[in-house]
Amino acid sequence: MISDLLQIPLRDPSVYDELSSDGVIPRPHWAPFVDSLKRIGSDELEKRWGRAQRRIRENGITYNIYNDPLGASRPWRIDLIPLLISADEWRYIEAGIVQRAQLLNLILEDLYGPQKLVSSGRLPAGLLFANPAFLRPLAGLAVPKQTYLHLLGVDLARSADGRWWVLADRTQAPSGAGYALENRTIVADVLPDLFRNSNVQRLAPFFRAQRDALVRLADRDNPRIVLLTPGPFNETYFEHSYLARYLGFTLVEGADLTVRDRRVFLKTVEGLQQVDVIFRRVDDSFCDPLELLGESYLGVPGLVDAIAAGNVKVANALGSGVIETAAIMPFLSGLSRHLLGEPLKLPSVATWWCGQDYALEWVLEHLGSVVVKPAFPSRPMEPIFGAELASAEKQKFREQLRARPHEYVAQEQVALSAAPVWDEGNLFSRSMVLRTYVLNTGTDWMAMPGGLVRVAGAESSVVSMQRGGHSKDAWILWDGPVDTFSMLPPRDQPVKLMRVSADLPSRVADDLFWLGRYIERSENKARLLRTLITRVRRANGAELGCLIRLHSCLDSRSSKLPKKRRATANELEAEIMSLISDVKRPDSLSATLAEVHRVGGNARERLSVDMVRLLGWLADSAHIEEYMLFVEYSAVLNGCLELLSAFSGMERENITRGPGWLFMSLGRRLERAMQSARQLREITTPLAERDWPLLEYLLEVADSSMTYRSRYYTTLQPVAMLDVLMADPTNPRSLEFQINHLADLYQKLPRHIPDDLRAMRDILALLHSFHLENLEYPLPSAASGDPFPGELSRLQQALRDLENLLPSWSNNLSNTYFSHARTFAISIG
Amino acid sequence: MVYRIVHRTSYKYMYPVSVGNHVACLTPRSFPSHRCDRNKLFITPKPATRTDRLDYFGNQLTFFTIQEPHRKLVIEARSFVTIEENAKRWPGQSRPWEQVVKFLPHDHSAAGLEAYQFVFESPRIRASEEFADYARQSFMPGRPFADALLDLTGRIYKDFKFDSKATNVRTPTEEVFRKRRGVCQDFAHLQIACLRSLNLAARYVSGYLRTYPPPGKARLVGADASHAWVSAYCPDSGWLDLDPTNNVVPSEGHVTLAWGRDYVDVSPFRGLILGGRDHILKVGVDMKPLEETPVLNPSLRSSQAF
Repeated sequence: MISDLLQIPLRDPSVYDELSSDGVIPRPHWAPFVDSLKRIGSDELEKRWGRAQRRIRENGITYNIYNDPLGASRPWRIDLIPLLISADEWRYIEAGIVQRAQLLNLILEDLYGPQKLVSSGRLPAGLLFANPAFLRPLAGLAVPKQTYLHLLGVDLARSADGRWWVLADRTQAPSGAGYALENRTIVADVLPDLFRNSNVQRLAPFFRAQRDALVRLADRDNPRIVLLTPGPFNETYFEHSYLARYLGFTLVEGADLTVRDRRVFLKTVEGLQQVDVIFRRVDDSFCDPLELLGESYLGVPGLVDAIAAGNVKVANALGSGVIETAAIMPFLSGLSRHLLGEPLKLPSVATWWCGQDYALEWVLEHLGSVVVKPAFPSRPMEPIFGAELASAEKQKFREQLRARPHEYVAQEQVALSAAPVWDEGNLFSRSMVLRTYVLNTGTDWMAMPGGLVRVAGAESSVVSMQRGGHSKDAWILWDGPVDTFSMLPPRDQPVKLMRVSADLPSRVADDLFWLGRYIERSENKARLLRTLITRVRRANGAELGCLIRLHSCLDSRSSKLPKKRRATANELEAEIMSLISDVKRPDSLSATLAEVHRVGGNARERLSVDMVRLLGWLADSAHIEEYMLFVEYSAVLNGCLELLSAFSGMERENITRGPGWLFMSLGRRLERAMQSARQLREITTPLAERDWPLLEYLLEVADSSMTYRSRYYTTLQPVAMLDVLMADPTNPRSLEFQINHLADLYQKLPRHIPDDLRAMRDILALLHSFHLENLEYPLPSAASGDPFPGELSRLQQALRDLENLLPSWSNNLSNTYFSHARTFAISIG
Repeated sequence: MVYRIVHRTSYKYMYPVSVGNHVACLTPRSFPSHRCDRNKLFITPKPATRTDRLDYFGNQLTFFTIQEPHRKLVIEARSFVTIEENAKRWPGQSRPWEQVVKFLPHDHSAAGLEAYQFVFESPRIRASEEFADYARQSFMPGRPFADALLDLTGRIYKDFKFDSKATNVRTPTEEVFRKRRGVCQDFAHLQIACLRSLNLAARYVSGYLRTYPPPGKARLVGADASHAWVSAYCPDSGWLDLDPTNNVVPSEGHVTLAWGRDYVDVSPFRGLILGGRDHILKVGVDMKPLEETPVLNPSLRSSQAF
């Protein structure tokens, strides 16, 4: 019997049950839904659900849990069963939250303007002045179209008698609308027929209206709108990137923006692009370290001044967090009558702000029946459930309340309603909270028809995504026609082909550039260290000297080798070990790989899932276990080099040749050219015959032994070496090849740096000007001290020049494309 | 008394700074008995943008950005300030301090509302029982507000040692309290914390202090420094200034630049730069009376400034 598998869960009589009033028969608006679920059957549902879960993982829908040992992100947890809300009920909620948004917007307008509510005593002055979220630098600044609230989030709960209450308002950067959208996409996909037949109100028209509202804020045609995120470590980062893509805005972090001439600009590799509107997900006080919170790295210095100049609009307006506190709730009913001339339609849960004498006295007396929270969320504190305090604790807490009463609010505890949750073929009841959204369109207010339902984990009455709850879709079952507009292009319509992606923010280009450099640096290090390891134990005196010279090519500042005398084999061995795995040494392989992981993590939006996974493995691939023998180290390095090769392969084969790839390749070529020039310089000094093993080592480091041997068999000749490693344009490891490619890449840059390109061409011409066949390469006997032959010293000078030029090219790239500062041209001459 | 004040701040950076966004609070305020006659800010290199704005507390802030690479930044503020002599009188009588505490939340007059915001915590000042206990030794039950205020100022002067090495700009007030050492900024923060812990209104005043050369010596140019003190609100007589660093009631020798909830609101100069890395900061203040007064104020002779 299929129907037996879908039992309506038992009803807890002390709470309102969304699904059924008696635990047997579904409420009328649930009945068709429950019937359909039964028809589909629990096996089939389970199968579909499995597919949906896979999609969630594949799409990388995550929610970051702070302090999670499992890492930054966890798959988003969503429940299959939507919360159903009937049309009439929704009309009631909608009217209530729209009125609330209007009211809160008017309150903000007053608090940041004339403050009549305070001077008339309608709002206690302490509520404003004690509130750290009251941002004085924003007071008196004009806000376009009085849009303090662009978007408001309202958390609703339903008490046992079926009435809805407002638990909390999210006034500065309400989260969750994007997750609601994602939930809708997933659930509608799992239950397509049910969704179609239920006449559910669509979400897309709401987001279209939101996009239009932000465009209108700008007062300019084709404005540039960005979504400002705190970055990948924020709990709702996924939502930020999802919404940015969905709405067609550029996703930016504070470091992507800069204020020049009292205007905000997006730093892109194409240049500085003026930003008209910032849709922000960064908290108020973090938005401008110059005028707000000085320690913030998430904001944009000078943003408030740009706002004051009227050159940029921010939604929600900075400072709107001042009423993101339950402390305001006791006053809303009176303020509604005063400001709107009508009673408050949707009640707030009973709240007492202890900053008022009578409220404090009431709370002290009834401590056992309330939950006490911080009045100002910027002062974090776990809620205190009065009923759970022992009497001694209660007394102590009373004193605490009396000492700083304005810092606390007390609220009545609402017994949350229960919603059905699907789990392995059965329905269970869980406490739930509904977050709704209201949009300010500039002329009107519009509620999102739906919302984000959050349900508590099993046996818990605390609803929090941070504490591992689930989320649900909310379906408004409409009784009229629904607008089926979709923001996503319909599947049967021809696609507009695009070859270019949106602006590449400079920060991302910067990270990709350094990813290229660090990957290349790691590879060079790993190769060089491997050559050292395989030889150091068998080396005779002359060979040891060559190995030490090879080591010197790393130019390690933290080298532990003696400077005054030649190192012993044991000392070199210890140095090699430390260079592989000592993370405290900035020039160790492990430290370099950590940098690879860091910059790669920053740029992960632009890398494939496989590449990101490889970066994770690479991060600790140079780890040496204590029990390992020295000879095993080369196996560690081999493993590391394999991962690096795999990454390079993906980079070559899987990344489109857009600006992102361009900067990564520039990084790689520059770094390889640096290493190559440095190593070549080592053989432009006179070499005695006993130094010749160095040639072999360098060939090995450059992975060019095979090339060399196929041409010259086993005879090692410095001149032939120079040809293979310096001048051969077909060898991807040669210096010529790097500079040539650099010049090619430079020509593809969106804005040229002509001086540097010219310098590259000069260098190429210089490299070509050496006739290696004619190069005199005497092998001075140690005693004779022959004068250093002219051509060779000219070559050495050229390499030195190049070694100076390469970092300046890197700096110029950085100034021009990343930090947008003026560049200083350096050329050889 | 007329003063000519030159306040010069210079930064030397290790690496070029490509962009700098800055804000300066270097324009003396004007109010009855204290007038800023002239003030000009000289900034090199020349800023690309420069705007003056009044902040929430009525101080004049100057915002500017430098958008060309630079290794050195100099801000020089030149001001002329006239202070009326003997204008401020210490109130002979005032109501018991508890009544001030009770009255403040209910005073909806403009001045009362303006003052009430200074009762609460601010970025650098947290109220605590510790501070309240220290303050209560002066604020004994029923004691007139102004008397208690003077007493507290004197105790801080006595109990705390001026020591420019003991603290820095970021030292928390709690640490100053434990160490019993600090500079003018610390003592001002401390006294404010004490007053606010009793729910009294107190604000931080940033300014300059006239210093006197040792007898027989000439005045040293540039030897002065910026200074900070405290102002507390009494509903009967308005704001009362107190200098806990020198145990005096500020008068003709104290020039007021700005006031706010604490140092963060009125720091003379701050900014964010791109590049630069390490820097060397030099600050020099020269405060010259344009007409020397014949009588030296004995209580100020050994005065210490920040």
